[in-house]
Amino acid sequence: MKKLFKVSAAAAMIGLLAFAAAGCGGGDKKATITNNMVKFGVTNFADNLDPSDNFFSWVVMRYGLGECLVKFDNKMNSTPWLADKWSISDDKLTWTFHINDKVKFSNGDKLTAEIAKESLERTFKLSNRAQSIFEYDEIKADGQNLIIKTKKPTPSLPGMLADPLFIIIDTKVTNRDIKKEGPICTGPYAVKTYSKAKAVMVRNENYWDGAVPFKNAEIPTIDDPNTRAMALQKGEIDFAINIASGDLQLFKDKNKYNISEIASLRTVLAQINMNEGRPLHDPKVRSALIQCLDRETYNKVLLKDTFIPGKAPVPPSLDYGFDQLKDPNAYNPENAKKLLAEAGWKDSDGDGYVDKGGKNLEIDFVFYSGRAELPLYAEATQADAKKIGIKVNMKNVDYNVLDPMRQRGEFDLCISNILTANTGDPEVYLNWYWKTNVNGSQPQNSTGYSNAKYDALSDKLAVEFDPAKRREYMIEMQQILLDDGAALFFGYPKTNMVSKKGLQNANIYPADYYWLTKDIAPKN
Amino acid sequence: METLVNGFKTNRAFAVTSLLVLLLLAIALAAPVLAPFDPTHAEMKDAFLEPGMSHLFGTDKLGRDCFSRVLYGARASLSGVLFLVCSVFVVGTTMGVLSGYFGGKVDVVIMRISDMMISFPGMILAIAVAGIMGGSLVNAVIALTIVSWTKYARLARSLVLKVKRRDFVEAAIVNGGTPTHILWTHILPNILPMMVITAAADIGALMMELAGLSFLGFGSQPPAPEWGLMLNEGRQQLQTAPWLMFFPGLAIFITVMVFNLWGDNLRDVLDPRNDAE
Repeated sequence: MKKLFKVSAAAAMIGLLAFAAAGCGGGDKKATITNNMVKFGVTNFADNLDPSDNFFSWVVMRYGLGECLVKFDNKMNSTPWLADKWSISDDKLTWTFHINDKVKFSNGDKLTAEIAKESLERTFKLSNRAQSIFEYDEIKADGQNLIIKTKKPTPSLPGMLADPLFIIIDTKVTNRDIKKEGPICTGPYAVKTYSKAKAVMVRNENYWDGAVPFKNAEIPTIDDPNTRAMALQKGEIDFAINIASGDLQLFKDKNKYNISEIASLRTVLAQINMNEGRPLHDPKVRSALIQCLDRETYNKVLLKDTFIPGKAPVPPSLDYGFDQLKDPNAYNPENAKKLLAEAGWKDSDGDGYVDKGGKNLEIDFVFYSGRAELPLYAEATQADAKKIGIKVNMKNVDYNVLDPMRQRGEFDLCISNILTANTGDPEVYLNWYWKTNVNGSQPQNSTGYSNAKYDALSDKLAVEFDPAKRREYMIEMQQILLDDGAALFFGYPKTNMVSKKGLQNANIYPADYYWLTKDIAPKN
Repeated sequence: METLVNGFKTNRAFAVTSLLVLLLLAIALAAPVLAPFDPTHAEMKDAFLEPGMSHLFGTDKLGRDCFSRVLYGARASLSGVLFLVCSVFVVGTTMGVLSGYFGGKVDVVIMRISDMMISFPGMILAIAVAGIMGGSLVNAVIALTIVSWTKYARLARSLVLKVKRRDFVEAAIVNGGTPTHILWTHILPNILPMMVITAAADIGALMMELAGLSFLGFGSQPPAPEWGLMLNEGRQQLQTAPWLMFFPGLAIFITVMVFNLWGDNLRDVLDPRNDAE
């Protein structure tokens, strides 16, 4: 009798526990999206919401809080935003931006040129990155006209002002903790609470540019791409940014999800250290290395066709001659072996690696794993290089350590995922990595790459206003880089935004800046 | 040794699990013969193939054969864990014996050091050590040794304290035996069985810790085949290519279970003789 009692008591307990467990979890997957709330899963690196701090301005803009004078359209052309028109003086040094009369901040204050001037000056005071983008002699405000006099002719100034660093904030508000609460801006959403792990936004009732679809928006940070995909699958979020290549096929059902996918403006490239004494100093060895890598397969098979195979410095999503450029180092492993032999490398000790003077051909490949594709490219390089006898040592480091290592030249290959058009066109990108580094003028170029013809083209580009001529210069510069084997271009990421069917206009833009826009709305 | 052989003949469970252990070791040793492909050869066009006739366990993200990688992984994982157990055993037992036999200041110093090590969360300290020294199987073994020796030291110390009070030890001291001789001839043989049992039972747990460190990226580095590392590599494709995690996970599960059972049976074989004294 006692035993029966014990057994039934145990069974009852287990039954109760099972009931309790079944009660929690399992959200309402069929919930339709209403105007009240939208949930957006993102990656987030911003410790606070001060636009002048670090790159945090990107988050201020991505979350629908801040806006700039200028905006990029789908073709990366500069289009009016807070400024509705602009003109340049005949001496090419003075720009006049007219501020749209309708613009108001979320607290009702009108945006005047005076506030815009103070906002820009604040940015230059607090951020040392501002003057690496452009330099000015003075900024004047005249009613709604903002007048900027640049130090040198600056052809891309409108594009530069579209960089989120130059978000316009209400400088008249002085009693606000900008870092914690965010600034007062002009965007469709305002901050209710912010932490790095989650942001809660509310509708800006004073928005100047039309009706804002959602009353509330919750933006949880889910950095791990698989977790983000699972959150979207379960319905915990309504849309997500950048679903990883391995998970995209989970959302292929067009009755349930929309995938907005475009080629981004980013290039995944590995810089090649070609200084004296380094194994890749010899151009034949460089060519051999580039030619032995089957980049087509890496991108189509390993990355499941979510990346476009690499060829030129500037991605094909921008119109800078991608198709007409000729790559002398296209995939050709047989030729790669020949080149190594011509350069005097032979496998004399039968260990599978070529050697010269008793030493194997070994190179150090530095990478970080914050982005899923970087270790994959590194491992694929190691596997393919082994087939022609080059030994690749992989060095996985933290991102914070990678940048100083890159600047000191402590690598043979150093990979990263780079935005090529942060100011609208690739001029800054082409200078940062390949223009000759004279006394620290281009600190990102520690590879020892230096080509006088390239530098001359870059100097001409700096002051050229004609877009057609600019394009020609940049195509010529790219061809020089390809002929010299100046870097390893792995591929160009596609970027995506995946949303539930109940949302409309959840579209991804080429520029990384526009995520939660005023157009994203419930579908009726 | 005779106890082991006797145990093998009389205790059937011990015989069976010992054979399983030997089978595992044999598979690990025979990997080059059994594996159909080179575990690091990447045929990238064949990436993410499902398990089938040409690839028994499918292929991974670079087109490498998973079956070959699991077989070669046995070598890395098993050799790693056996080396780890040996080093923990040697370090821990030595410290414990010195501490227990000599007492006094030596005892105090060693025990306080071991207290410090115990108060640290073991995995975190192992990660820190492996992070500073760089990721590799050897460094992971060193890191885990640093955090795991304390258990053996304490056990050895308490056993030595118990044995030290026995008559035959006192007789040996009175007869003029040097400490070295006494430790080697009288003390060690009496504490060894218990220590060996503890070590054997721990193989499973230490295998999990080693795999865990590799999973986090602090143990074996790619492209080396090692089970914990393969688990990490398969994690990103959990929903689309689950075989990448399933087979290494199964291998770890089977190995840990076999060693745990063997350790249990070893205790049955060695212990009853101890208790009889």
